[in-house]
Amino acid sequence: MNSLDRLIKEKLQREIQAKTRRHFIKDCVAGMGGLALGSLFMSCNSFLGNNDKAKIALTERDINPLASMAPPFPAKVKSVIYLHMAGAPSQLEMFDYKPTLHKLNNQACPQSLLEGRKFAFIRGVPKLLGPQAEFKQHGESGNWVSNFLPHFSKVVDEVAFLKAVNTDQFNHGPAQLFMHTGSPRLGRPSIGSWVTYGLGSENQNLPGFVVLTSGGKTPDAGKSVWGSGFLPSVYQGVQCRSKGDPVLYIDDPKGITRNLKKSTIDAINNINKKEFDEYSDPEILARINQYEMAYRMQTAVPEVMNINNEPEHIKEMYGVQPGKESFANNCLLARKLVEDGVRFVQLFDWGWDSHGDSHSNAVDLGLRNKCTEIDRPITALLLDLKQRGLLEETLVVWGSEFGRTPMQENREGKEMAFKGRDHHGDAFTMWMAGGGIKKGASWGLTDEIGFSALEGQVSVHDVHATMMHLLGFDHEQFTFDFQGRPFRLTDVEGHVIHEILA
Amino acid sequence: MEVIQQLIGRLHPLVVHLPIGFILAALLLQWYDRKNYEWSKIIGILFQWAFIFATIACISGYLLYTAEGYSFDTVKFHLWLGIVTALFSLLMYLRLTAPSKLDFIKRVPVVLLSYSLLFLISFTGHLGGNITHGSDYLIEPLPNSIKSLLGVGPEVYEMPTLEEENWEEAILYTDLVQPILNTRCVSCHNAKKEKGELRLEEENGILKGGEDGLVIEPNDPEKSSLYARLILPLEHEDHMPPKDKDQPSKEELDIIRTWIANGNSFDKSIGEMGLKKELVQAFFPKAKDDTYPDVVVAEVSADTISAIKKKGFHVERVNEESNFIKVSCINKPTFSDGDFELLASLTNQIVYLDLGETQVTDAIFEKISILPHLTVLKLDNTAVTGKNIETLEKLEYLKNVNLMGTNFEEVHLPKLKEFKKLQIVYLFKTPVKKPDQVSKPQEGELLIDYGGYDLPKIATDSIVY
Repeated sequence: MNSLDRLIKEKLQREIQAKTRRHFIKDCVAGMGGLALGSLFMSCNSFLGNNDKAKIALTERDINPLASMAPPFPAKVKSVIYLHMAGAPSQLEMFDYKPTLHKLNNQACPQSLLEGRKFAFIRGVPKLLGPQAEFKQHGESGNWVSNFLPHFSKVVDEVAFLKAVNTDQFNHGPAQLFMHTGSPRLGRPSIGSWVTYGLGSENQNLPGFVVLTSGGKTPDAGKSVWGSGFLPSVYQGVQCRSKGDPVLYIDDPKGITRNLKKSTIDAINNINKKEFDEYSDPEILARINQYEMAYRMQTAVPEVMNINNEPEHIKEMYGVQPGKESFANNCLLARKLVEDGVRFVQLFDWGWDSHGDSHSNAVDLGLRNKCTEIDRPITALLLDLKQRGLLEETLVVWGSEFGRTPMQENREGKEMAFKGRDHHGDAFTMWMAGGGIKKGASWGLTDEIGFSALEGQVSVHDVHATMMHLLGFDHEQFTFDFQGRPFRLTDVEGHVIHEILA
Repeated sequence: MEVIQQLIGRLHPLVVHLPIGFILAALLLQWYDRKNYEWSKIIGILFQWAFIFATIACISGYLLYTAEGYSFDTVKFHLWLGIVTALFSLLMYLRLTAPSKLDFIKRVPVVLLSYSLLFLISFTGHLGGNITHGSDYLIEPLPNSIKSLLGVGPEVYEMPTLEEENWEEAILYTDLVQPILNTRCVSCHNAKKEKGELRLEEENGILKGGEDGLVIEPNDPEKSSLYARLILPLEHEDHMPPKDKDQPSKEELDIIRTWIANGNSFDKSIGEMGLKKELVQAFFPKAKDDTYPDVVVAEVSADTISAIKKKGFHVERVNEESNFIKVSCINKPTFSDGDFELLASLTNQIVYLDLGETQVTDAIFEKISILPHLTVLKLDNTAVTGKNIETLEKLEYLKNVNLMGTNFEEVHLPKLKEFKKLQIVYLFKTPVKKPDQVSKPQEGELLIDYGGYDLPKIATDSIVY
């Protein structure tokens, strides 16, 4: 048998070698003809009689890629609000209280911490910088929060802290990509895309994954942090603006009335329906559905994005500034979106890069202003979700791409005009709140100056695995086949952080 | 040519029914004719046909086997028995018509041939059915209780478990390694079967090894076939356990690897070996998900679900492992009391019902009270006032009621406190007045969230640094 196989192989080899471009083109023509014939047969209902069958075999997803699906495993939450402070806020001025660092203020950093390390801007031997905020324990949990966040400290019992999150990236772009796609390089889908791909969207009139930005700039990594990577592009985040048109070009063009738009879409869909009756191609149904959805979104999106209809006391609680682009507006919008069944709401707030190179980037000045900007909205968001019964089925994640050094930044080895800290990803703080989260928990411990983790170090993948777990996925089984292998959000790593789960 | 071969092959399931029919008809005629022996000629002809078509069936079956890539092991009994059936039909035909040249055949008793054929036809047919439909096709629709009585129920394998309190004291070998070997390996590698001359049910066997020598290379799991063969690709000839058997989980493989890597001690505890908790984390008993009732309900067919979806409801199973169903009117704000009938086919399965922002009124309570497993009920932003809400008291699993933004009246609040399982009620934006002092409820007591939280202005709100 073996020798026969070999003979056959040899014959095939010969044939391949004898092939010229001319042959190739000739074969192509035959192949194309075959394909055409195939599609002719497909449309020939009476011959194959598979028209009905084709209709039955269509899944909901063929027609509507955002059709919602049940999670594989018991889920604790159905939606996520992810608050990302782009630029990396200093955990040492907000949550990670280090009294020893206070004592060591202005002393030279020990060599042992610097050996073999590379920092983004620190050169030579920097000095340690004590906490620039006052800390107190709050709530029944007794978790530490600084006086930069006076409102948030009242709801500290609602959240679970991760005090020692670790990332291996120390520049904003790659670190943000890592935080949101599980890889510091471009090309992977963001968490929101994975979730919308896996669960779809409950509200048929709104996108499943909405992105809101504030702080004047979008994140350094660009739109890839809410991109769909290799997943179908329908799962990418839809950026909505809280100022002007919520979605660009959502309004009908001048001179086109709503009715005219409706009849246009109806006419197109009628033609498409005829096309479908003839060819039974599910792509046509998907297209019909998308036209209809786009039409519905034209009214639904501006409606949900309008915060003016909210009662005054709610607006005051969040501290919104109607007509402006603000983090507070976005927090209120996030609640409205989740209330209306949007699966994943991603907020980015820019301006947290406290290097100490300017007033606004000083850890004792600009950072404090940024904290004031988010303090009230974040607290209001948690309370508002709670009183509406939404907090129990929503996961709120707060974090950034990395943290900051216990050392004062000395760009180019020189002392700087303001107090600042450099990028540092060894051990920074994140928190989560909502369904399935152990209220008031705190996991992870950093050393006396907050440089590295002593225990409970968790990776970015662990954070992702935990989020997936709460949404009803096993992060190891939730994969998408691409380029010949299954891919997952957590790549080949990630453990669910059970310590912060209820 | 290949196409024709395939086509004839695929006709096999059709063709086989001809000989089956002829043989059964002939056997029945024989039974009727058992006293008179008048129809022998006709019966003979039937067996002749049976032989002819059985032969055709054999040929088409063989073509099917070669063209569709069945392995010989799967089809061999069916194949041989099919051929034997054809031969027996021929034999029977000869016996009945008995041409003079073959007089010796008269010595074979007809009854023997009849019974053999009856057996052959049933058993061959059954094997053929197993090949096309799978061996559990017939018993699959039976309820699980009967299946387990027959001993064919799904084999439920349970991971060995450790207690979270004293995992360090557990003996790695006795409490994890051996139980894993027991479930994954011992069914073939035991004193009775001893495949590959290897026994894995106890220490001596493991240390002795099998026909290829030792299975443990001390401290080197990659060179120990006890571990190395488990991590070979599934297709590899030497992979263990065999491809068609249940495979060990990632965590189980980790245990075996770590055990060998740390000197395969038979009596050291996990703590003594200095192993980390992460290694055994997967073996702690899993906290049961108690969100929804611990009751098994019938599955609702996909057709029913999609029919209800077409009416505008958002309907979904709570997860793929559960038959419980979540219903929401998020896309159906026109839902009113009368529409409740549309959900009649889901009565037993609904555990989560979101009627928020719909047109329902107090009449809905009585209707909802027929949902025995309802756990979460959302009536927020509707016109309900709470009248008749007591009808929900009989819902023994109702944990969570959202009445936010309704006209819920304070007089009905005491009724809610009577509900046994009710844990939380949301009353934000209702006429109910928030008491000045809201005490934290005790364990098992009803938590009433009156909402209306505010964040009073503080001085630092407006300070710019």
